[in-house]
Amino acid sequence: MFDSAVPSSPLKQTVLDDLLISLGQNRTLWAPRTEPDGFCRLQLAREGPLPSQSTLTFIPLKKLLLPPREAVWVHRDGCFHAADEPEPFAVVGVPLCDLQAIWYLDQVFADDVPYRARRAKSLLVGMSCEPGLDCRCDGQLMPLAGDIFIGQERVWAISAAGDALLRESGFSAPVLDVPLPWPEGTAEKRQDLSGEQFYSAADASIWAEEGKRCLSCGACSVVCPTCYCFDMQDEAAVDGTVTRHRIWDNCFFAEHGEVAGGHDFRPGRANRLRFRMEHKFFGFGELRGQNSCVGCGRCRKACPVDIDLDRIAERLIGEAAS
Amino acid sequence: MNEALQPMTAVLEKIVPMVVDNSLFTFLPERSIPVAPGQFVEISIPGVGSFPVSACELVRDSRIVSCIRRTGRVTEALYNREEGDAIGLRGPFGNGFPLELFDEKDALLIAGGLGMAPLRALLHALLDDHKRSGKIVLLYGSREPGALLFYDELVELSRQGRVDVRFSVDFAETLPGPSGGVFCRIGLVSELLSDLDFVPGKTVATVCGPPALYRCVLEELALIGMSAAKIFATLERRMRCGVGECCHCVAGGHYVCKDGPVYSLEQLRCMEGAI
Repeated sequence: MFDSAVPSSPLKQTVLDDLLISLGQNRTLWAPRTEPDGFCRLQLAREGPLPSQSTLTFIPLKKLLLPPREAVWVHRDGCFHAADEPEPFAVVGVPLCDLQAIWYLDQVFADDVPYRARRAKSLLVGMSCEPGLDCRCDGQLMPLAGDIFIGQERVWAISAAGDALLRESGFSAPVLDVPLPWPEGTAEKRQDLSGEQFYSAADASIWAEEGKRCLSCGACSVVCPTCYCFDMQDEAAVDGTVTRHRIWDNCFFAEHGEVAGGHDFRPGRANRLRFRMEHKFFGFGELRGQNSCVGCGRCRKACPVDIDLDRIAERLIGEAAS
Repeated sequence: MNEALQPMTAVLEKIVPMVVDNSLFTFLPERSIPVAPGQFVEISIPGVGSFPVSACELVRDSRIVSCIRRTGRVTEALYNREEGDAIGLRGPFGNGFPLELFDEKDALLIAGGLGMAPLRALLHALLDDHKRSGKIVLLYGSREPGALLFYDELVELSRQGRVDVRFSVDFAETLPGPSGGVFCRIGLVSELLSDLDFVPGKTVATVCGPPALYRCVLEELALIGMSAAKIFATLERRMRCGVGECCHCVAGGHYVCKDGPVYSLEQLRCMEGAI
């Protein structure tokens, strides 16, 4: 994976159409489509025109790479077996913010065999977008994952696989060294919340206030392109075969911080809200210090009680200044 | 598929009941894995689930011995298994105790309840290290005398003069007699510290027990004059993956399963919500 997309090539629409169609020949092809209910979702792109620009899907791309329920092993005849290999797929029309989100997940799951297997079988084609009212993306936040990026006038190879595909499709060798076109006029730049502002405000009244409103429904985390908590669940078939699934979990759920014997390290909704914000803005483990909020705004749309991490950040910054 | 998430088969070789709801389980995995004191493995019961547990002995002949309390759904299922049954096991995970820091130093081990189990592996490692010259003190608190784990072994070590063992219990109708040669009193395990004659600057301490024990003991050791970099605790969390992915065990931005579970007080002071 290249750290940033560099080689670019002038766009030739007819060749591009052929390329996009060829992507679907040996793999499942997904593309965003806005449906009559107003929601944009990834749809199987068997028929109909492929998009010429990206649209933010309400359900993020992570759902294909980290399925909500995924077999990690099978126990049969007294032995543990590997789960089935994933099928290849491609997604055309991924917005830049989601390519950043996949870069982040690539780091988290760098050694995770099921995730790596899915990534190896995936082809991601980014496209330029028109930012919406909730968008607060930031091109400097982190590098991009993906294989190809299609802008309004140029096409870029992001990965070696993307580069090979472009060449095969008749795009000339990389000719220009042009930065990727981040959308013009995206919403106001967010202020950076510092670790000191966050950690020194553990007792700030905003946690109790927002925690009281939070329903612990976890919708924000479901639609977040960089949330990845999981749990394990076994399923036994009639013949005794047991499949262990990795299933999505949610740090808003009451038992997330519990240990044997019932002690709970994050007992209240305010604790859990703050925990999620800490994870999102400051990262865990080797990704400590990496802000993983790509500014897509999905959580703002999903929250039934209007909790907004950016607004909490602004207030913490304001209180630290006063 | 995921080598870290996929267990290997292990034979449950031996089950030895210890005290009520605590038994010693010996597992023989199909491949030998090194489990250092303080590290843990994940035990899987297919169809039920898995749980993390530390080894309470040094691994010999590939065998992993753990003291496991019957405390939930999955441990209950393990208790219903019989010797000779197969289970799943993966690991080792975590950092383990910093054994090298104990060289040339006195060792102060403080255990509360089931916290004695991982500390016993450390105790065995220290006793095995014939180059060591420092003394070993073990303070072990439990609910009542009948709940003290490895009681006979610890009394024997004390009698031999190899370990200075002192017990405390929350309540007791009769205390274990002086015939055992081991000091036992009613009260908190931290209260045993006041009678102790040790040189803070020459000692490395390791504490293992419930969160309440950490809150009262760790800073007290620092107050006595020990360096916070030489006081260690091992954190208990419900680790689902063991490899720093699932987020259940996170404390203070650390994946306790991967960066820990053993931390110095110096680190813990910077880890909000760790204890």
